[in-house]
Order: sequence, then structure tokens, then C-alpha cells
Amino acid sequence: MSLAFFPRRWLALLAAAPLIAVLLSGCSGGPGPQFTILSGSENDVLEPLVQEFCKSRNAVCTMRYQGSLDIALALKGDDPPADAVWPAASIWIDMFDTKRRVKSVKSIVQMPVILGVRRSKAQELNWIGAKVTAKDILAAVEAGRLKFLMTSATQSNSGAAAYLAMLAAGIGKPDLIEAGDLDKPEVLATARGLLKGVERSAGSSGWLADLYRDGERNGAHYQAIWNYEAVIKETNDKLIADGHEPLYAIYPEDGVAVADSPLGFVDRGRGKDVEAFFGDLQAFLLKGEVQARIAKTGRRVEVGRAAPLPADPKTNLDPARALNVIRPPEPAVIQKALSIYQEALRRPSLTALCLDVSGSMQGAGEAQLLDAMRFLLTPARTRELLVQWTKADEILLLPFNDHVLWTARATGGEAEQATLLAQALELHAGGGTDFYTCSERALVAMKPLLDGAEHLPAIVIMTDGKSQGYMSTFEAAWRTDGRRVPVFGVTFGDQVDRSQLDNLAKLTGGRVFDGTKSLTDAFRAVRGYN
Amino acid sequence: MAMSRRGFGIGLVAASAAATGGYLYLREHPEIAGRFGEAKKLFGFAGGEKEGFLANARVRGVLERRFGLILDGRRAGSVEMVREPALLDQKPQFLWPSSSVLVEVARSSGVKISRDQVIFNSPIVLYSWDRIADGLVKGGFAEPMGGPRYKADLSKLLKAIIAGETWAAIGVADLFGRARIVCTDPNKSNSGFMFAGLAASLLSGDVVMPETLNRIDGDVATVFRRMGFKPPSSGKLFDDYVAGGAGAQPLIVGYENQLVEWVLQDAERWKRLEANAPAKPVILYPQPTVFSAHPLISIERQADDLIDALMNESLQEMAWEDHGFRGPLGTIGKARNALLQSRLIERIDAVLPMPDAPVMLALLNRLAA
Repeated sequence: MSLAFFPRRWLALLAAAPLIAVLLSGCSGGPGPQFTILSGSENDVLEPLVQEFCKSRNAVCTMRYQGSLDIALALKGDDPPADAVWPAASIWIDMFDTKRRVKSVKSIVQMPVILGVRRSKAQELNWIGAKVTAKDILAAVEAGRLKFLMTSATQSNSGAAAYLAMLAAGIGKPDLIEAGDLDKPEVLATARGLLKGVERSAGSSGWLADLYRDGERNGAHYQAIWNYEAVIKETNDKLIADGHEPLYAIYPEDGVAVADSPLGFVDRGRGKDVEAFFGDLQAFLLKGEVQARIAKTGRRVEVGRAAPLPADPKTNLDPARALNVIRPPEPAVIQKALSIYQEALRRPSLTALCLDVSGSMQGAGEAQLLDAMRFLLTPARTRELLVQWTKADEILLLPFNDHVLWTARATGGEAEQATLLAQALELHAGGGTDFYTCSERALVAMKPLLDGAEHLPAIVIMTDGKSQGYMSTFEAAWRTDGRRVPVFGVTFGDQVDRSQLDNLAKLTGGRVFDGTKSLTDAFRAVRGYN
Repeated sequence: MAMSRRGFGIGLVAASAAATGGYLYLREHPEIAGRFGEAKKLFGFAGGEKEGFLANARVRGVLERRFGLILDGRRAGSVEMVREPALLDQKPQFLWPSSSVLVEVARSSGVKISRDQVIFNSPIVLYSWDRIADGLVKGGFAEPMGGPRYKADLSKLLKAIIAGETWAAIGVADLFGRARIVCTDPNKSNSGFMFAGLAASLLSGDVVMPETLNRIDGDVATVFRRMGFKPPSSGKLFDDYVAGGAGAQPLIVGYENQLVEWVLQDAERWKRLEANAPAKPVILYPQPTVFSAHPLISIERQADDLIDALMNESLQEMAWEDHGFRGPLGTIGKARNALLQSRLIERIDAVLPMPDAPVMLALLNRLAA
């Protein structure tokens, strides 16, 4: 065929075709996929790296932060809402991904779970420069000399890791808990003792670290916190910048749990392009230069990939320190340890539920509220998600509109829950809204039990609207009471105004959850915090 | 030009004879088949440890150009590919698991086998770190073999683990707690499956049989219980080992070729590690060990050619050079990689056969309990 058949203009176009193709598909790239990652909160520091990669591929990436259990449960469901998961540790994938949908799992960083102790407290305990074991930590807790913040062992990986480490040390098997070890009666006594050290709990490691810093501002001055080495470092950077006392890192000599931060692809049939995109994202995060940037955040990376941060003698943080690592137990042993935690070991909770039954709740709102109550007070359903009540827990129910309609109290025993539920199901919406008064009444009702100091208290306000009345009604009572009780909000409905709840949560070290999508999920999340 | 009818007839006969002869010749010499005619596509399942080999551009090039074969090899677990109806119903033309025992299992699941042939071998080894291996030498559980490579007295080591000895008691001073070896979940992954077979044979004093199994299965279960959590795949365990370092993963079970592939994947990373890391990866060769054989099972006659192609010297050499797979008799290829030479051993003499399939299945049930 002769080129003479083509007009010159065509020839020019033909010559330019490769260039056009490059422009269309190459450097600026065609549009990349919409890509969602369910991730532990400890990875938020790494999100800029993920977004940098996504931008280079014109992809729209969303990182949704959840606790490890939520990520695991998402995998158990029929339709996982993400293209990739990035929990703190592989064990959550292996235990819950029963359909084996997660592929190409690779560890991005290694994060030991350690105890950060206020430096002056560490000094008081003679722990500066000393070799401290988990057993020493237990002894300090038992002697009433140490309290700490720790996430919920059943909802979040760092709490589970800290709990298992302390439990292993407590039963004299610091290297590994084996099947059978948890059947001995003395195990429970040891474990009850260690959990007395828990001053506040939470469902998220990142949130718990913020709580510690808030404590410096609002005067709570917590003593210690279990968290990832890198999160302790980030917290210290902020504490030091704000002129507060830093945390001193304790790496238990007899064994530290290490989270392996696995990033895995969730195969939900979106085709080869999405899978290839994931493969490239993972390779990007494991590339030498990117690993070097990650190492600068205080995270540990694979040997030979990048140099770790140097040790800091002031805070004892040292990402290059060699560790004795506790092996994660077999999944069946973990399940058993976690149900022991929930059923018997956790400090009993004292939860006051302020339920909004004002006029705006009529119709859908009322139905959703009652559905949430059915979930919360049905043991078979709460047990499935490891948020069941126990006999030692105390539940107060305070339905309100512009005043508190009535107050009912029950323990978490099955029969008492059923009675409470029957009462709740009688509720009908009508009238105004004042949750300040309800939370103040809740505080009064809680007082006798609070004084016993056995319970982890919380007030949960469930509302769709704006409160009348004044915040000072609650604030004055809360301050007088010794600022002990955090307030959590659960919002729902279209008209919701979060600002009032946010202020209450901020004041008391609580948190507001969005119940607009699922009240049940929001209530479950609240349970992770107390 | 005009042609007589006779001439045309002779020509036709000659051409058909040539075609038949050529066809027969090409069948006898698959190594040049790729130069003629259209390449043949073959679909099948292969264990994940061969994914790198099957994706290797050099390998694909040779298979297509010289042998006229284009492979669509999908990743599947070695145990599931020979048992799972969901996979077998897809009508694979070949299966490439990673243990000879699995050929028997395939046959018992009703797979019609046209031919089977071991293509590669990779010994089951222990991965550890130099300072830990040196401790094991002091404790009398390992012997140096010149350079950073060792042979391990696995039988003695297993007995110490069963007795609940601490690391310190077996010579490794700076590790805390009881000694352990970690492998993959034997009910899911082949390296754990083979280690279970090896441990059972070592503890029974010979290749374990149905009548000797119940004498030692409790001890094997103790070894596995001491591992705690067992990862579901060999690749994941090896990743955990290099990522976690000596404190987290002191002693694990793997295939010899895993270190080779890892080093070749990023030679610079390996050099940095050799120069700077506080502990360096080493291989301990158990004496005796078992070979993870990689038998190719051709289900359709068409896939028989794949066996001949893969047994060809050039592909065998690539498998060694780029991926660390030994040949069917356990021999290494010609290439010597300077980065690895001092860590591998050339000949592996003490090799136990794997126990029979029914014994292995009984052992798996015991370990799953």
C-alpha cells in the first residue's frame, strides 16, 4: 500500500497518533477508579501518601476510618462496602473473612503496642531507664499506683493487644496464651485486677490519644495510655508543642504485641483494572522512598527498606529497638479471651440513656428509636457483636421531652433487660426537647453508684433536634460532681443540629456519633466507649 | 505454468507426506513447535509460590516462541485445587500443586490424569537470623555448614519444644519465653501441611504410617499449639518473617526458594540489609527434610506438551536462576548468584518421603481439632 493514498493532513495525524494516545492515557492518565479503603484510625497520618498515589492516577480514593472489629464485621457481611481493608492487624481479617474475599495481603508497617506513661509518673514508679515487665505494670495497677487509658479490647486492636499482653503476663505465660490456659480459676482474678487499671476506654486508638491530650487541657491529667508506638510519638509531638509533659515509652521486656498493618484487596468482582490499581497502590506504599517517608513518622518498616527514626532518650521512644514479641494466640483462644473480657473482666458499666421522645420524633424517628432499643436490650443480638451487657452493668433509662418522663433502672441481667425493653416499647413521641435537664437528672440518678467507683460511667443522649434550656444546667452539676461522667451523643433525623451535643461531648471528653444511617450501629459504637 | 495430472498427484502425496512427517516431527520436538503455526492456549491452576515463575516475561517468551504455548495459569491453593468442585468444574487443562501427595488426592477426587511429572523441587527449610542460629549451634541443635548456612537437628529441636524448653535453655540467650517454630495453617497451606508430615515422621522415627500415627499425633499437636496463630499462606508467613525481624519471627518454616525470590526481587534492598541490619536472615536445612515437589498434572492430552516444555533445560535453568526452584531430582542449575551462593547448599542428601495421603488426612484432622 502506498502512502500516496493518504492526504498529507492524515499523515500528520497518523504520525501524531502515538503522542495523542500518550496524552490520553499516559502521564495525566485516563480516569482512575473510585476506590474505598476501610482503615484503622492509626493510618490517618499515612492518608496523604495514599491520596498522592490516587491523584497521580486520577482516581478518587476514600479512606473510611473504623475500629478493627467494624472492619472485620464488614468482611463478614454479604456486601463489603470497600475495595480494600487496612486494619491494624491481620488476625482480624483471618478471623472474620470467612468467605476469603481478601487477597494480596501485605504488611505496610509494624507497630508495637506499648504503654506511654506521663514522665513524672514513670519517675515516681522508678521506671525511667529501667527494664519494666508486664508483670511490673500489673503490680503497679494492683497497688493502686497506676491507671491508664486503653481502647476496648473487643472493638479495637490496640486494646485487644494490650489486654492479651497483660493477661498473658498475669497468668505467667507471657510468650503465648494457649488453649486451656484460660480455664483456670485464678486467671479471672488476675485479669480482673489488671482491668481495674482502665480509667477510660474507647473504640478507636486515634480518638483515645486525643482524649489523653484533652485531659491536659481540661485538667483530667490522665496517667498513662496503651497505644501504638507511632501514635505515642505523634501524641508526644503535640504535647511538647503545646508545652505539656510528654509520655515516657514503656516496652514491656517480657513481650510486646506488634500490629502488622495489613493492606488487602477485597474482591467484589469489579474487574481486573480495579485489582491492578490496588496492586500498584500497595507497591507504591512499599517502595523504598515511600517507606522512608513512612519511617519518618516513627513507624517501623521492613528491614532493609528504610532507616528508622533515631532513639529519643527523653521519651524512650526507639523504633529501632529490638523487641520480644508476643505471638498472637490461635483465633479460638482470642475469641475466648475477648468474651471473658466482655462477660467477666471489664469494669461494669453504668450507662444512662437519655431518649428523646419529643414531638419531632413522631413517625419514622420513633420507630427507629424503638428498633435501636430492641437491639440494645436483646442479649442474643448484642452478644453477636461483643457489646452485650452483663449482670454487673447498670442501665438507666430516662425518656424525655421538655422534662424527664420517668426513670427506670435495671442491671444487665437478661430478665431485667426484658422488663426495661417492654417499658421502652410503650413510649410515644410528643412535646418539646430539653436534653440538658435529662443529662443533669441522669447525673443525679447515677450518683450513688458513682461513689462506689466500681463502674465506668457514661451518659448517652439520643436526639434528633435542638435542645431548649441551658447547658449550664448540666455543666454546673457535672463540675460539682467531680467531672467524672462523659456524655455521648447519638444523632438522627434530617434536621439534626450537632453543635449542642458537640459542646457537651467536648466538655466532658465524650463523642458524638452519627445515627442518621443506622441508630443501631451508632449505639453499638457507643458501647465500645464504656 | 501447466502441470500434468500425474505431476499434481505426486505433488499432493509428497506435500501431505511432508505435512504428516512435519507434524510428527514437531510433536517429537515441541521445542521448535512455537515457530510454526498458532500458539496453543492452556488454562489451569497453579500454587501461589509459582506465580512469579508463570508471570516471568522470559518464561512466557520461551513458552510461546519455542513451544507454542500460552498459559492462563490462575492462582489457587494446592490443597483446594485438587479437591474443590468449584475449581475442578471450571475444566482446567492442567493442575500444578506443590506436593506429590496431592496427585494421589487429585486422583481420589476423580480427576482424570493424562500424565503427571514432577517439574521442580524445593526443600522445606527453617528461616531464622544469624544470631539465633549461632545460639542453636551453641546449644547443639544446629551445625554451621560454612558461611551463613546451617543444618538443623530438627528432631532434637522438636523434642525440646514439646518439653517446653525456653529459648535460653536451647542456647538462644536474648529471646524470652519458650522455644517455638512457626509454620502456616496445615489445613490451608502446603508448607504447613508438609511440615506436619515431616514432624510426624521425625517423631515416629520413620515415615509415619497409620499404625504409628496415634503414638505421636499428640506430640505433633503440641508443636502446633505452641505456634499460636498460624498464617493461612506461605507467602504471608515469609513476609511477616522479613518484616517482623528476629524478635517477632525467630524461627519459621518455608520453602528454600522463597529467600531466593525475595533477594532477586530487590537486590539493593538485600545489600542494604547485609550491610546494616542488626540480624540477617539465614537458612537452616533440617536433616532430614522433605521436598516440596511441584508435579504438573495434565488433565487433557493437549497439556502433555506443557510437561515436556517445562522439563526443557532452558526453562529449568530460568526456574533456578530467577526463582530458586531446584530440578526434579533436587539438583540446582548452573547459575551462581553471588548474593546467595554462601547461603544455599548444593546437594540435599537426607530427604524423607512424605507420608501417604490417608495418613496425612488423618493428621490434618487431628491438628484441626
